Amino acid sequence: MEVSALTTIVFWAASGMTLGLAVIVVTQRDVFRAAIALAGSFLGVGILYFVLNAEFVGVVQILVYVGAISVLMAFAVMFIQDIASGSRPSEGRLFAVVVSVLLFSAVVFTAYNSNWSSMDEINDPLALHALTDGYVEVGTGTDISILKDPPIDSDAVVVENGGVLVDSTGPIGVMLIREYMLAFEIIGLLLVATLIGGLLLMRDRAPENEPENGDASV
Amino acid sequence: MTIESVLAVSAALFAIGAYGVISRRSLVTVIMSLELMFNGVVIAAVAFSRFTPSAALIAADPLTAEAIRSSLTGHTFAIFVTAVAAGEAALAFALVFAMYRAVESVEITDASEMKN
Repeated sequence: MEVSALTTIVFWAASGMTLGLAVIVVTQRDVFRAAIALAGSFLGVGILYFVLNAEFVGVVQILVYVGAISVLMAFAVMFIQDIASGSRPSEGRLFAVVVSVLLFSAVVFTAYNSNWSSMDEINDPLALHALTDGYVEVGTGTDISILKDPPIDSDAVVVENGGVLVDSTGPIGVMLIREYMLAFEIIGLLLVATLIGGLLLMRDRAPENEPENGDASV
Repeated sequence: MTIESVLAVSAALFAIGAYGVISRRSLVTVIMSLELMFNGVVIAAVAFSRFTPSAALIAADPLTAEAIRSSLTGHTFAIFVTAVAAGEAALAFALVFAMYRAVESVEITDASEMKN
């Protein structure tokens, strides 16, 4: 089964946007322009998630990266005044090129020489049938059952291009508060710890030490 | 669009980020490159989730909700990584500000002078 031509075009366009802007981020001397290019690169990654049928991850990417982290970057760039001197490359440029080319070629070599298990290689025709034939998830809360319905609701599970496309947003929400409940709680704790740590680091020292620093309070 | 091409894009993003981390001297740009590397890793996780069926999904004879959810582990991983990366970016910039306040510079070579 084939991915439609439009999907392929959008995939390569988003990839080009992401990688091109990423190259600008690491080569641009003006840090503010690098921050703008970084926001564009994040947006390209978000489009890639949508193309890969990960709608929820794509929305999170746009909210968190394009919305929050890019603003944080721009704020940092504007806050630090000697940004006009630019971000000079250090001496290890050749070393950096060698390391990144080695990393890239190692991963690509492995990816193209591996046998990925895909839906095309499932031998059991029953399992393939079960996955292609329009099973849908019915119910709310803890009372979820899987029914085999006529193809009116058959978009719950779709098999395409050797992959499994599952309607993702609802199941991810269920997953976060069932299988990954503990990790979800720990992430909340981590974010609170980050908040407190950030406030502590940014806090002004006691004013009797250096009174002239008092205007930089946050 | 195959799993190989998506992994190649992810590896390229990771390698570009690694180049930035090694070759730049400004801490702000190093953090930006770190975020690029995070994104490369998450693209790989989503690609695996998209293209390879999970063992539970193949083995499930009557398809269950658990089996469907097991094919979304990569998405959940991506969301957790995004949350950790957001916290890491906020804390890293707080550190950069603290360093800028202390030594009036954001260059990595000046970071060794932070001990007091």
